[in-house]
This record gives sequence, structure tokens and C-alpha cells, in this order.
Amino acid sequence: MRKDLVFGMAGSGGDGIVSAGDSLLQAASAEGYHGVMTKSFGSQIRGGESSCRVRISTEPVLNPGGNLDVAVALNWEDFLKFGAELPVAGTTVVIYEAATGVAENQIPLVGVTPLQVIAVPIAEMAKSTAGTERAKNTVVLGLIAGWFGIGGEAVMKGISKKLARKSQELVDANQKAFDAGVAFAKTHPLKADMTVEPSKTKGAVKLLTDGNDMCAAAAIFAGCQFFGGYPITPSTEIMQFFTSHVWKYGGAVLQAEDEIAGIGAAVGASFAGKKAMTATSGPGLSLKSEMMGLASIAELPLVIVDVQRGGPSTGLPTKTEQSDFFAAAFSAHGDVIRPVLAPTSVADIFRITVEAFNIAEYYQTPVIVLSDQEIASRKETLDPIDTSQFKILNRLLPTGSDLQDYKRFKQTENHISPISHPGMLGGTYLASGIEHVESGAPTNSGSVHARMNEKRIRKFDPLKERKDLFEITGNPDAPLALIAWGSVAGVCREALQMAREQGLDVKLMVPYLLYPVAEQTYRDFFASVQKGLVVEQSHLAQTFKVLRMHLDLPKGLQSLARSGANPFLPGEIVAALHHLLSELQRSHEGKLQPQE
Amino acid sequence: MTTRGIDFKALSLKDALDLAVLIEQEAKERYEEFAAQMDQHRTPDAARFFRYMALNEAKHGEALAARRAKLFGAAPSAVTRAMIFDIEAPDYDAARAFMSPRQAMTAALASEVKAHAFFVDALPALKDAEVKALFEELRDEEVEHQDLVKAELAKLPPDSGLSDEDFVDGPTAQ
Amino acid sequence: MSANATCDFQAKDYKSDLKPIWCPGCGDYSVVQGIYRALAAIGRPPHEVAFISGIGCSSRIPGYTTAYGFNTVHGRALPIAQGIKLANPDLMVLAAGGDGDGFSIGGGHIAHLIRRNIDITYLVMDNQIYGLTKGQLSPTSQKGRTTCTSPYGSLENPVNPLLYVLAYGAGFVAQASPTDLAGMASIIEEAIRFPGFAFVNIQSPCVTYGEEAQQIKGLKAISESLSSLGHNPADRLAAMDLAQHYGEKLHLGVFYRNPEPAPTYDALIRERQAALSKDAPPKERILDLFIKK
Repeated sequence: MRKDLVFGMAGSGGDGIVSAGDSLLQAASAEGYHGVMTKSFGSQIRGGESSCRVRISTEPVLNPGGNLDVAVALNWEDFLKFGAELPVAGTTVVIYEAATGVAENQIPLVGVTPLQVIAVPIAEMAKSTAGTERAKNTVVLGLIAGWFGIGGEAVMKGISKKLARKSQELVDANQKAFDAGVAFAKTHPLKADMTVEPSKTKGAVKLLTDGNDMCAAAAIFAGCQFFGGYPITPSTEIMQFFTSHVWKYGGAVLQAEDEIAGIGAAVGASFAGKKAMTATSGPGLSLKSEMMGLASIAELPLVIVDVQRGGPSTGLPTKTEQSDFFAAAFSAHGDVIRPVLAPTSVADIFRITVEAFNIAEYYQTPVIVLSDQEIASRKETLDPIDTSQFKILNRLLPTGSDLQDYKRFKQTENHISPISHPGMLGGTYLASGIEHVESGAPTNSGSVHARMNEKRIRKFDPLKERKDLFEITGNPDAPLALIAWGSVAGVCREALQMAREQGLDVKLMVPYLLYPVAEQTYRDFFASVQKGLVVEQSHLAQTFKVLRMHLDLPKGLQSLARSGANPFLPGEIVAALHHLLSELQRSHEGKLQPQE
Repeated sequence: MTTRGIDFKALSLKDALDLAVLIEQEAKERYEEFAAQMDQHRTPDAARFFRYMALNEAKHGEALAARRAKLFGAAPSAVTRAMIFDIEAPDYDAARAFMSPRQAMTAALASEVKAHAFFVDALPALKDAEVKALFEELRDEEVEHQDLVKAELAKLPPDSGLSDEDFVDGPTAQ
Repeated sequence: MSANATCDFQAKDYKSDLKPIWCPGCGDYSVVQGIYRALAAIGRPPHEVAFISGIGCSSRIPGYTTAYGFNTVHGRALPIAQGIKLANPDLMVLAAGGDGDGFSIGGGHIAHLIRRNIDITYLVMDNQIYGLTKGQLSPTSQKGRTTCTSPYGSLENPVNPLLYVLAYGAGFVAQASPTDLAGMASIIEEAIRFPGFAFVNIQSPCVTYGEEAQQIKGLKAISESLSSLGHNPADRLAAMDLAQHYGEKLHLGVFYRNPEPAPTYDALIRERQAALSKDAPPKERILDLFIKK
């Protein structure tokens, strides 16, 4: 019996592969399993190659997994298009469409002999039971239920619910197709037992959602009352969540005429005293630079979610990457510090988004939440989140005495000035992008400018001391180290587990606060490090470079970086750690360890 | 220079005095504003002259206000600043950076001429005899003011004939 | 003081202490006076007014008023004003800028504020030049005009701001100028009072870069009041016909005023918020949306 299975399914858009994955995940979740699902597509709007990866487990899932345990190929041409995203190994059971005409011993997977290869007449089964080949995906779900013990009743329940609005005939057809799949599985048992153990948490309430929806929900929870944005893959769902729900909480959302108008409206809403947000991806972030700079100098709270995708420019709209770090931290001219936070999963994007609003409001600044396409679009099961544990911060409002002779940008001990908004008697001021004196009136004085820059930069000092924005696991004195953020952190968490099980003394740092760089926290982490990797999906190794810009890195800290759309797998990180271990041991040859 | 919402036929003496005070006030504020503009644009001689004009307008206004107070005490006014538009106040268009004292005085002279014309034009519409008398008085005063400015102009040395534009820096981009 | 209450305010109550950087003689001095007067006539307390601008000489205007001002970035006054109004529809929201700020870099935004009919008043100080940056061509400069960026004369046809805004369906379109101070103050007042997006193009001469014909005297020579022509402001087509004379004639007054103003976007949003929040659970329970039953 297995605790954990990773399914990878591919076909063309018309095969309903993603729909099948969705049904599978929902059913598994209903049965009490933990699960995560990612999707990957070609560039056609419809009918292009389409794949999904569903990981089901009795334990909480840290990332979409490495090599597939089960590969389902409805046709080989499309399956192969996904290359390294659907890696088949000697432990994989490959199920494929018999109608492809490919013999079981001649499947086009290079350099590997899978555990088992089975050709299934999926299309034929669909046609003969449901009356249409389109029911292929339901047959696949039946096969999965039969062979791996997941789904079953729950899958059909979900499908019925979805289709009941259409016709009972459709539901019945699907039931027949499903049953045919189950029957085939029973009459063709697998060589190895790959059924999944029953879940330990059956019946427990679980949430099932994706990173974008979770981010939007978190924002509304944090008190966000205005969203201004523009459609862009892969962030559009955040805006759509707002268009469905924000009205219920007295808020407003505007799909603006362009990216700049979107953030502009959010800047306006913040000026008007409301918590405000915008969301975009790389190309939109570039367009929004100027407005971000405006918000920084006007000291207006604002949350900007950047769901990273392959760049530069239009790049790879449907693939994930981590190459917006430079832009998030540095774009917009002038001397500006703009906090950048990075969630690592659907579960923690909730608290990171809430934290982003708190930081934005407290420090009166734009804050970027650097999400990525994988977190945004992957569906995860998670345990319910107790919202009462969260503290919500609001911007510092002026007191009665502040309003006697109100100075919007008054110098204070912590460099944060009380902020008024239109409608507040006595709080009138001029906000602007131009440099200003304490009252807000424009100035071009060098000494005022230096003082104001100091204010705007020094106010962030306490943020760099926030240890709670860093997750460090493993032996704190380990000589081997990993640093990773975003969706890559999930892969490294699993790699850490595997490495430690193999006896390696390694620790992992996951920074949730990417910028400003918390120098002391990194220095403390580096104290024991002799060999390590900064793992990131950025061809320029942006994280490594930003760290090097601010810190003296340990000599043995190296970069493990590559372009997006080339996912890291836990296994390869572990292999890299073994390699570092060899280097470490070689460097200690002939030397006694220092006596304690 | 216009008015809005003033029915000259129905103007009472109180109204007329209040109107006259407001006209002076408007002019005084405009001259002060011009003086500030001249300060901002480093044109001290014109600034000085405009301040002088502001003081004059203030004096005229105070005299009229005193008369009004004597006759009508603190009775509420039916006339407001919202009803007048640049009667005696020089047009904003009259000011220029680096304007010479001659140009400043010419602007002031034009304002006095404008004010004179206002009273002349209003006279035929007035019904009240006392108001008529007041307007005639004010009309004649404007002639006196014009003479004052002309006298100042006469004191000025002749213009060099050279254009300022040939000496001052060009405008800067911001 | 509750929202929308009016009190006795005078023009000087809307004037701030900041000394304008405008060149003496600039038309904008008159324009801001017109704004003070309009606001005083309406009587909304200054702290309930938000005045947003872009970048340019005329965009300095909010700082010279006692309203909450926001001098934003070039061409983006409207998107930001939009956000302010939607965040707090009770505020009086005004936007201002020049012809370049509005019709060049900002040109893409006007159409959308118009079609959403957001209750914002947009004042454009049109002087057919880029003054702040030292005299470059603007989108409303006449063809053949010589400027810093068109030393051999402009080859471009100018945008017609009046037609632009009329064609997109704005509910209130007017033109004013310091050539008629009382008229300008009235028009600004009427525009602010109009429920919905209101546009006033103000011919405000630039004394530093403007041509002779574009100064007050020159403008007076070509100005004509729309009412004296017998124009009916409820007739959009007649308005567009007259608007074609932009550049040759200075028509002052209201080109178009929708006799039956449509509901504003901000009002419609309020209705929706009221309807949908009636039975909504508190936001602490928002994650319940993700429990699949």
C-alpha cells in the first residue's frame, strides 16, 4: 500500500484531462486525503496540448512531487510536449490509449523502462458505454479508482453534481464510462500493489482552493476594500474573485482600462483611506513601476501582487519562473525601498497576503507579494485556517492634537507619520510625487530631500529584524544549507526531508521577506554554513545576486539556478546536496575537526 | 470686468457703499497677489510698486468702510465678493515676470481706467439719487487715482529702449 | 459636519497659502480663482473635496486650494481620481491637468471615465503647448506651429478635445476662458454640480510660450458665447457641429448637457454593495467559500 501517489496526465484540450484532474482532486479531498494539482498547457486557447499533475497523499503535501508514479497518456505527441514536467522513471506505471497503435514495448520514452506499461482502449470504452469518445476522461477516472483505490464513489458524486444541471442522460452516460474503467482495472490488475492507504483524516473539514483565490480571500479578510486591476495571465483570477465577492463586504473592484489605470485607481483608493490592492504578472509590473514610485514617495499603503510567469516581456505566460525579483525590489527610479514578500504555497499565501496588508498599512508603503504561476494556479487541499489568530493592523490615523496643525509628513521617532484622508476635518494636505517638506508642499531643497529620503528608508529598519518572516528548518549548526523561496521552497522542503533521512546534516532557509534584505538574519544563518545552494528559477540567479549585493556570502555558497518552465525536482536537489557533501568532505581531508 | 447678480436699478446707498468697499478690497488683494508674484519671480521694483498700490486701495477701502459704518452701522450686507469680477483689480494678464516699473504702473493705470468706466457705465441704470451721487464721486476719484499713477509714471526715467528678453535667462524646464 | 452639508464658505476659504510658481500673466491664475468661486457657490467644506492632477504647470493647481490635493504622475489623474471616487463616493472629486497630460499620455483614460459615467469633474487647461518642460508640441497645437520639437512647423493635425469628449458620450461638455471670468466661474460651478462625468476645456493662455494670437486679447477677438448663437445644449449633434470650430473660434459656454443624466457608476456600485452585503457572512468566515460540500 502506498501513502503517496503522483499522477501525471496528458492529452489534448478536447480530452478533458484537466477536468479529470479536478474531479480526482476534489474526490480525494472529500475522502480526506491531502492533495495538490498543477496544470500545464500549450499556447492554443483551445485544443492544444494539455496536462495536469495530481498528487494525493495521506500526509500533508509539500509540493507537486518529482517523478510520476502514474503516467496517463491519451496520445504520445501531446504527452511528450511536456518533457521534464511529466518525468517518467523506473517506478512509474504508464497507462496509455491503445488506439495510438503503439505497442507496449515500444512506447516513445527515451532511456527508461517504466515499472509497467498498459495500453487501454480508453476511447473505445468511452464510445461503447457513454456513446461518445469525449467520455475518455471519465473512463480514466474509473481506471484510477479501480487500480489505486482513490475516488470511486466520491468522483461520481462530484461529476453528477456538476452535470446534474444539464441532464440525467449525461450523468448516466458518465456513470457507465466510469464503471467500464473500474471493470477494466479489476480484470487487469497491476503487477505491484499501488493502492493508497485509507486517509487518516476522513471526514475532517478541508479547504480546497488555488493560490489566486486564496490570495484574494486573504485580502478581503485583511480589510481590503478596493481592487483595481487588469486581466493578465496568470493573475486574473484574483480580480475575478473580487468581482464576485468584494461587494458583499462594502468594497469595490474596477477592471480598469489598462494596467496603469488599475494600479492608479488603487493608489487613489488608498489616498482616500481604504486598504487597496492590485494584481498582475511581469509585463504589468513593468508598466506599474511609475505608480509604485508615486506610492512610495507619497507614503501610501498599497498591496501589489505579482504572479510571476516566464519572462522577459511576454515571455511564457503559462509557465512559472522566479525572475521578477529584480523588478519587484528595484524597478521605479529613485532611491526607494519597497518590501517584497513571497508565499510558498496555497496554505501560506493567506497569511503572507494578510501580512502584506499589515506591512503596507503600518509602514505606509507599497508592498509586493511575489507569487508565481504555480502557486497561483495549483489547487491544494488544506486544513481550515483559524482566522481569529491573525492580527490586522491599520494605518496610523492622526489624533485630535495632530490635526491642530497637521503635517502629513511630520518627522517622528520611527519615521512614520499619522496619515489623514479626504473627509477628515483638519487633515487636508497635498499628496504628490514631487519631493516635499513636512506639510506636503513641494520643495527642491537638497537638505530636505536628504531628510525625506532618510525618513522613507529608515522607517523600514524594524522590518529587517522580523525573524517570523523567515522559516529555518534543520540543524541550526548544519554545515550544508539550502536557501529557496516561492514554489521552489516546497521542492526544497521535500528535498530536505529526503536528505536528512539519508543522514545529511543540512538546513533550509525559506525567506518570506525577500526585500529589504534582512542582513543579520542571513549572517546568523551563514555562520555555520560551509557549503550551500541558493536554489531558484531565474537564469540570472537574481536571488543569489541580491544576496551578494548586501552580504559577504560563505565561500561555499553556490547558485543552483535555471530558467523557468524547467522545474526542480526534490530528487535532483538531494543529488546536488550529496555532491556538496563530497566537496565538503574532500575539503576536510587530512584535517581534524576542531576540538569542542 | 463684470458683475453678477447686481440689480443696479434697485441698488441702495448701503449696497452701493458695500459694493465700493468690495471693489477696493478686490483690487487691494490683487495688488498684493501681484506683489507676491513679483517677489517669486525676482522683480523687486514692480513688487514695491504693487505694494504701494495695495496700500492705496486699502486706504480707499477703509475710508469707504468708515462711511458705511457711520451711516448703517453693522447692518448685514446684501452684496458679496461673489458678485464682482475684476472691477478695479488689474487683470491677471497684466502681470509679467521681469516687468519694469513703467509696465507695472501702466497696468495700474489701466485698472483705474477700467474702474472709471465701470462707474460711468453703471450710472444710467441707477435710480437712487444718493447712489448716483456716490457713483459720480467714485467716478471722479478714479480720475484722481489715474492722475496719481500718471504722476508716478512721469517720475520714471525714460525707458532704455532695450528689451528685457535680451538680458534675462530663458525659461527653465521643470 | 455630515457629508454633502453645505455651509457659508467664501472663495478665500478655498485658497491655500502656497504661492503659485506660475509665470505672472498665466491664465491659470484666473482659472484657480474661478475654481475658488465655484466651490464657494456650492459650499462643500474643503476637507470633503479631493482635487487630483497629473503633471504640468496647470497640474500644480490642487496645491493652491485647501482641498485634499494629489499631484500624481503625468497623464494619470483620471485613473487615480476614479479610485478615490469609488473608494468614497461621498467626496466631491475634481481632476485637472493640461492638454498634454489629458490628451496625449492621458488620452486613453478619458474614454473610460466617460463611459463609466463616474461623478468626477475634469478641468483641462488647454494652452496648446507643453509649458512645464519648456515649450514642446502638444496634441492640441495647430498644424504648422513652430515649437521646440517642431522647428520646421508641426506636421500633425491637432486633437479636438471637445469633439473627443462629445464623441465618447460625456454628459456635460463645456468650454471656458479667462476672457470671461464670470462665465468661467459659472461654467465650472455647473460642471461640478452636474451628476456624472463633466468636462470643461479651459483656454488658458501661456504667456511664456504661447503665440500672440493665443493671449487674452487674441482669444477675445475670436470668442463667441454659445448662448448668443442660440445653441441648444440638449442637442448633442449640434454641439458636435459647433465643436468642429475648435481652434478657429473660441466658443464659450455649455456645448452639451444631458437633459436626463444617466445614473453614475458610483451610485450603481452603491446599489450593488447594498444589495449583496445584506445577507453576507462576516469576512472572518470568508474561507468557508473554499469548503467543498
